[in-house]
Amino acid sequence: MATTSRFKTLKDMPVEDYLTPGNTMCAGCGGILAVRIFHKVLGPNVAWINAAGCMTITMSYPLSPIKSNWLYTAFASAPAGAQGVRDALDFLIAKGRLPASEDMKVVVVTGDGAAYDIGFQATAGAIDRNLDFYYLCYDNEAYGNTGFQMSTSTPFGASTKTTPATEAFPLGNTGRKKDLFEVWRIQKAPYVATLSNSHGVDFLRKVEKGGTIKGPKLYIDFAACPTGWGFDPKDSVEVEKLVVQTGIWPLKESVNGVVRHTFVPRSLVPVKEYLKTQERFRHLFEPAEKSEAVSIIQSQVNEYWRKAAAAEDLDVRLPEGAR
Amino acid sequence: MNGKLLTGNAAAASAARLARVDYVPAYPITPQTEIIETIADWVRERKMDTKFVQLESEHSMMTAAGAASLAGARVFTATSSQGLLYALEMLYNVSGWRAPMVLVNVSRALAAPIVLEPDHNDVLAARDSGFLQLHAETCQEVADLVLMAYRVAEDRRVMLPAIVNLDGFYLSFTRERVLLPEQEAVDRFLPQYRPLHPLRASRPVAKGAAVMEGYVYTYFRYNMHAAALRARKVFSEASRDYERLFGRSYGPVEGYMLDDAEYVLVMSNSFTTIGRQAVKRMRERGVAAGLLKLRMVRPFPSEEVAALLRGRKAVAVFDQNLSPGSGGIFYPEIAASLYNAKGRPAAILPVVGGLGGKQLTPKEMTTIFEEMQAIAKEGKTPSPMYLMRNDELARVKRAVALAQGES
Amino acid sequence: MIVRVRFHGRGGQGAKTASRILGTAAFNAGHFIQDFPVYGAERRGAPVASFTRFSDEEITERGFIFSPDVVAVMDDSLIVDPLANPLAGLRKGGCAVINTTKGADAVGGARKDVVVVPVALTEQALKFLGKPVLSAGIAAAVARVSGIKEESLLAGVDEELREVGLSEDMVKRNLEFAKSIYGELAPLKLKTEELPGKEELVPLALVVSGEGTEDVTRTGNSTVRHTGNWRTFRPAIDYEKCTDCMICYAYCPESAMSVGSDGRVKIDYDNCKGCMICLTECPLRAISQTREGGLQ
Repeated sequence: MATTSRFKTLKDMPVEDYLTPGNTMCAGCGGILAVRIFHKVLGPNVAWINAAGCMTITMSYPLSPIKSNWLYTAFASAPAGAQGVRDALDFLIAKGRLPASEDMKVVVVTGDGAAYDIGFQATAGAIDRNLDFYYLCYDNEAYGNTGFQMSTSTPFGASTKTTPATEAFPLGNTGRKKDLFEVWRIQKAPYVATLSNSHGVDFLRKVEKGGTIKGPKLYIDFAACPTGWGFDPKDSVEVEKLVVQTGIWPLKESVNGVVRHTFVPRSLVPVKEYLKTQERFRHLFEPAEKSEAVSIIQSQVNEYWRKAAAAEDLDVRLPEGAR
Repeated sequence: MNGKLLTGNAAAASAARLARVDYVPAYPITPQTEIIETIADWVRERKMDTKFVQLESEHSMMTAAGAASLAGARVFTATSSQGLLYALEMLYNVSGWRAPMVLVNVSRALAAPIVLEPDHNDVLAARDSGFLQLHAETCQEVADLVLMAYRVAEDRRVMLPAIVNLDGFYLSFTRERVLLPEQEAVDRFLPQYRPLHPLRASRPVAKGAAVMEGYVYTYFRYNMHAAALRARKVFSEASRDYERLFGRSYGPVEGYMLDDAEYVLVMSNSFTTIGRQAVKRMRERGVAAGLLKLRMVRPFPSEEVAALLRGRKAVAVFDQNLSPGSGGIFYPEIAASLYNAKGRPAAILPVVGGLGGKQLTPKEMTTIFEEMQAIAKEGKTPSPMYLMRNDELARVKRAVALAQGES
Repeated sequence: MIVRVRFHGRGGQGAKTASRILGTAAFNAGHFIQDFPVYGAERRGAPVASFTRFSDEEITERGFIFSPDVVAVMDDSLIVDPLANPLAGLRKGGCAVINTTKGADAVGGARKDVVVVPVALTEQALKFLGKPVLSAGIAAAVARVSGIKEESLLAGVDEELREVGLSEDMVKRNLEFAKSIYGELAPLKLKTEELPGKEELVPLALVVSGEGTEDVTRTGNSTVRHTGNWRTFRPAIDYEKCTDCMICYAYCPESAMSVGSDGRVKIDYDNCKGCMICLTECPLRAISQTREGGLQ
């Protein structure tokens, strides 16, 4: 991949912007940054198909922050909207009723609530039909637009509005984050990738690579959420960096089911360093550190990387004292 | 005799083919399934130049349908009952997008309990969705109304999707003579769809943007309402063209033996035929009976209803649906159409019947006229009729005993 | 007598909490009250509003306050923000409490028929709390001018801030903040009068005369929103130090940075929300920040 990509450093990021300034997302939003970078690689001819979420509200009548096409569908069925647009364009172009120059890349953009929960079935349907589309999930690990309630993307130990950490429930969310990458891979989507805005070149290359593949191209972007997670917006990219360096969010891709890690943190930073950056994990450290919970999170990460290292012959050093 | 023997489902599929629809997203459900099966066959045998795709739910099916319409395709799809309800969220979206398309609903009563035969609670659940609604009495009407629906829906003055409704079983699986128009004439009646502001690479557009202010929302909702009201006139224009080309004419309502009628029964859909028979029987007995059929349900033909029911001694509204805790759904709509009319009928009798496809005997229907006469003569306040015969009740009681009685 | 208060802030400044503090304070003082926020696309930094009504008689009003007796403007940049328009409908003889360092000039003489109460809240918030969260301060200012007793106010601050999960220490510091603002101001005798104006209904035929679809065909027109006024801090590039590495440009979530024909990165101050990712990510520390509104 590295040998053929037009993206070597961040300086190669295309300078055309299709996201226009003046959108209504929170300052420091990781989701809108992902949309901006994604769009740069795709170029101008795009039809975004959106499901309910923060991004829905940024397309607030009469102002559009996106120069290309946009369609808000409903919470559960954005991939089906992509199906309709893709099929209509294919049909009209094939019949000569539209010139080929009117062809567009059809991109579903949703948060994790739609991708992991309510739109799960519609996405599975689109994958089964081998729909030629992109799916960009900006994953902020909860229902952000409704005020930060737990989704099945919410990690173990996070406090949300529906899984608040209290004296009786000291850990917050006790469920484990759904492995959507694996779910999509197992459904035989030809291309599945994880992204972090902080690893921009990796991001650019993966979107570029998707362009060479026909069928569903599914991306999960780890989208830092200053408002929901409780950190200063200026640290948004730093939080995204840390989640990769701790190994909590592995950067990887699956091409026809074969997984490869595209960035290997040689020496994993302890998860604690990441958890401490955010209010949603504060209860794990205050009033006293809940070391058992922290070590559960650490050992899940360790277990993941032991397996990955064995499978791909990677050199990954786990944190000191790792079990 | 010319024409072909077609079921209601086949008539619907045939009309979709004649309309040269570009796209059919589909999902099976009884009693509609035959429509999409027929289209799938034609597409795969290259008899129909259409993209057919089976979705994973009606909700997705309607999403794909509306989205394809916004991308410039002429879209057809069909559903029934629970399927329509599963898609209901999307009906409101598709109409709000102002995406014209035609959805055939083959009526089937709603669960629970689950049942296969028709009543109109399914399609009437969509009455506030912004879809135009045309209801068919015969298989011929099914075919004609599908073609008319495209013409009205796609008109720039309207730009709203439409539902054509037919009853499960009584039409969907019933064969009758249907005259299918010639393709060439249909092409003249229904030129290629020209969308307003379609999703395009060269001229991008944002659709379905959020609005944050009630007055902006109100503006767009009023515009939908006005477009739906304009559909009445557009329908009449389409009807004139249709008659010129095909010799059949359709108004938003249709009268039967209405001119001198004193007692009028208001009905819709396939059971209207049974109502006609009852009118004939009453006429034979010397009673000035008549019938008013609702063909157009959205926009609601209030003016026509008021004009045609004015001065009658009594009117009965036959609702093949039930809103528990209220009664029939058409009754208040008819009453509202008449309330401010001069010379409105002295009495309007609400009747509920035919739920879950419950058979209606001619005698059962004539009791409605007898009740109307009694009300008019004695000047009593009408109390709602809920049709069920004693033989039916006896059978239900036996069933309940088997289900819950002591063994 | 009824007092209608409309709070205008930016998402994250605490407008909703302020309306609740005032509501609880007035409730504690024995009044009938209503308080509520506007629900909508409120985002950190975007204009938001919230409302409090209190009265010694049962309140027979509901919904948005179009003719407030008091407006509480938590950020003086909102005065000229057409989306916020905080002085709209303010009653003659009413009061505008404004967080500003510009004194009564903040309203620029736009309304000579109202009492302007300028108060430098942000400075005090930074002093007491270390961050620009203004709920306790603005509620205190409004409570003071509208004659609510200090102990009722402080009970409101205490109750509401605990409710939103603030630590013991932060609650204490907010109480000090509120006391300080309360002490700075004096009660006003407000005699207000609704502004004259006629409202006419339009016939439906006028509303629906066009095509009436909701399409946005001028895509990419969001630049007119000017989210630049969401900023608390303003980034600036030191072009002497900048090596055009493009890292700030790459990570600007807003497209509020562009690359000029000279190959240098420029900041679009009209719409930069001041998230300061650029400052954090610049490897050469070539980006600095200053507080908007002239404060350092």
